Amino acid sequence: MGVKQIDADVVIVGGGSAGTFAAIKAKTANPKARVVVMDKGPIETSGAIGRGMDALNVVSVPGYGTPEDVVEALTKVSEGILDQECAYTLGTEIYDRIKDLEEYTGREPGDLFPVDDNGNYKCNYLHPTKKALYLAMDGEEIKRALAREVRKLGCIVLDRTPAVKLFTTDGKVSGIFGFNIRTGEQYLINTPAVILTSGCVGKFGMPRDGYLSGIYEFPGNTGEGYALAYHAGAELINLECFQTNLLMKDFNGPSCGYVVIPRGGCGVNALGERYWTHGYWSGDMFLAVWREFAEGRGPIYLKLDHLPEETIQGLEKILWGTERTVRGQFHKQRDENYRRWDSVEQGLEEITLCSGHSMSGILINKNTETTVPGLFAAGDCASVPHQYLPGAFVFGAIAGKMAAEYAAKNKAPKLEADGNAIWKSVRAPLDLAEPGLPAELVEIKIRTKISQYLTPPKSDPLMQKMLWWTDRIRREDVPQIKVCDYHDLIKATEVQSIIDCAEMAARASLFRTESRWGLSHYRLAYPKVDPKWDGKYVVVKKNMSSGEMEVSAKDVPKYKWDYSTRLEYDYPEAKLNIGEGFTHPPNDTHDPWISEKLGVEGLDVPKRMR
Amino acid sequence: MERYTCKKYEWVKVDKTKCDGCGDCVTYCPRDVLRIDNQGFPFMAYRDDCWYCDVCTFMCQLDAIRLESVPYLIK
Repeated sequence: MGVKQIDADVVIVGGGSAGTFAAIKAKTANPKARVVVMDKGPIETSGAIGRGMDALNVVSVPGYGTPEDVVEALTKVSEGILDQECAYTLGTEIYDRIKDLEEYTGREPGDLFPVDDNGNYKCNYLHPTKKALYLAMDGEEIKRALAREVRKLGCIVLDRTPAVKLFTTDGKVSGIFGFNIRTGEQYLINTPAVILTSGCVGKFGMPRDGYLSGIYEFPGNTGEGYALAYHAGAELINLECFQTNLLMKDFNGPSCGYVVIPRGGCGVNALGERYWTHGYWSGDMFLAVWREFAEGRGPIYLKLDHLPEETIQGLEKILWGTERTVRGQFHKQRDENYRRWDSVEQGLEEITLCSGHSMSGILINKNTETTVPGLFAAGDCASVPHQYLPGAFVFGAIAGKMAAEYAAKNKAPKLEADGNAIWKSVRAPLDLAEPGLPAELVEIKIRTKISQYLTPPKSDPLMQKMLWWTDRIRREDVPQIKVCDYHDLIKATEVQSIIDCAEMAARASLFRTESRWGLSHYRLAYPKVDPKWDGKYVVVKKNMSSGEMEVSAKDVPKYKWDYSTRLEYDYPEAKLNIGEGFTHPPNDTHDPWISEKLGVEGLDVPKRMR
Repeated sequence: MERYTCKKYEWVKVDKTKCDGCGDCVTYCPRDVLRIDNQGFPFMAYRDDCWYCDVCTFMCQLDAIRLESVPYLIK
């Protein structure tokens, strides 16, 4: 079995929400183009919406909001650190994607999305602004519909074949390598255009329950898009803004405030008091939650018991029927009931890097171009702040079209990579002599360190120590990873992606000498927003000559719209008095007990310690 | 005596009176957790990669496989 060599026009890494839209639009733009989709799973069920999704969290539709309203909302929740053109594009394009979804699913307005008495899509309020930009969706089948469309158009789908290496020639994209995690078949693809749509870094911090896959984001999303882009020389931004997941305690689904809050639910602390001013899932809310715990008013709850019985039953149907359908079972097993005020316990769970729910990702412009020619990115791995699922659809579609156009004008550069040599290095954990280290153990090690050293509030010495750990685990542990089959082989790549992302996150966090985005970048050494960082990205990039990680500041594109860039909150002021009663002994102190012990036993160290 | 390794602890359960071994659950599991055993029935070969997403239950046309519980650490 040798490495299969393929020529393609466009290769899409990840067949999730953005990736399937990218494939459809690339193939539609140029039906003759060879469009390849690589995915860790089967595209019918993989990614964040594999089991369905219940809303588009940011839209602008007639009668409710305009693209400018989207810009206003995203300017505010990103505290001004965004490319407003991307937000505007999200606003202008989402209506057409809604229509696409109705076409692909064969469902009418009012069925897939609710409509009001005027025939407009019926939106609800969610953002901390005065416009309704949230559109509910009965989207159980949308992933199957998107996958069907991808296959119908004749795209080449490589299911269960994740990409693990991305190649450039003279600074331009030239190829990609992946292998099938069941059969081990390898593919070396020569292509001028690659679209990274491989999702967020979901496996980053450890969940508090200790279950490696018990995370909010889809656990197949382990940051390969971030790592591939980084090693290809692309710029990444906002990696210091951590998604500090406020979730249902121990359950990996969302709480789900966005379904409950627009219908009257609210968050309360252990005393039953409301503690937040808006229901939008942002760093200021996470900071409010953190403070409730720090000041002894945790746990916190999502309160529903004051709602009419019919509403509660409706919420159960929605929350237990789409996206995370095990939610109802989880409640029953814990004897939880939405009719009791303290039923839905919430907690700040593992930290994550993600663009869709937060801001971290590969730097792109409104055309989804990265800073590497031929490399495009969309969805949760591409930084369009708070774009959610609508952003994946909008920018996935743009990436497909733009990449197809790029491929029509640019031949694939000559690919100088040797497929057999690459495969030999990728499969090294299979060939390593036993015993080695199980990939899961190394994953536990790096993820527990991420939780302990990077979770906000961020401490400078702890983040410095994290860099010691990334270096040590990369140097000592990664070469020792031993796996026994192809299914586990991908975990060796995943661990390396997580390590790369941890280093990027630590270095970016240390570079931004202020606090911003509430808890998401609450830095104890700089516990205030500093206006000098207004309108500035922190950029992480690999120096392609030295191989070193470089961090720098860069201006965000000039604002076209003058909207507020502030959420209203203050960082807690610590007023500590640890009291009196201890006096530090002088430096020349001789402890009589130690002196006596040494006098009797001498200075020999016990044998076992040598 | 062989050490008991608890490998049989699984939360995805198969009703062998209904399952015809078609393998749809194995094909569509997004985390590649399932395999067919030597009797022709699916089992959790990579148990701890399960995201308890319920896709196996959803994709089974025969109502033969179900996610009986969330994993122990979550429960």
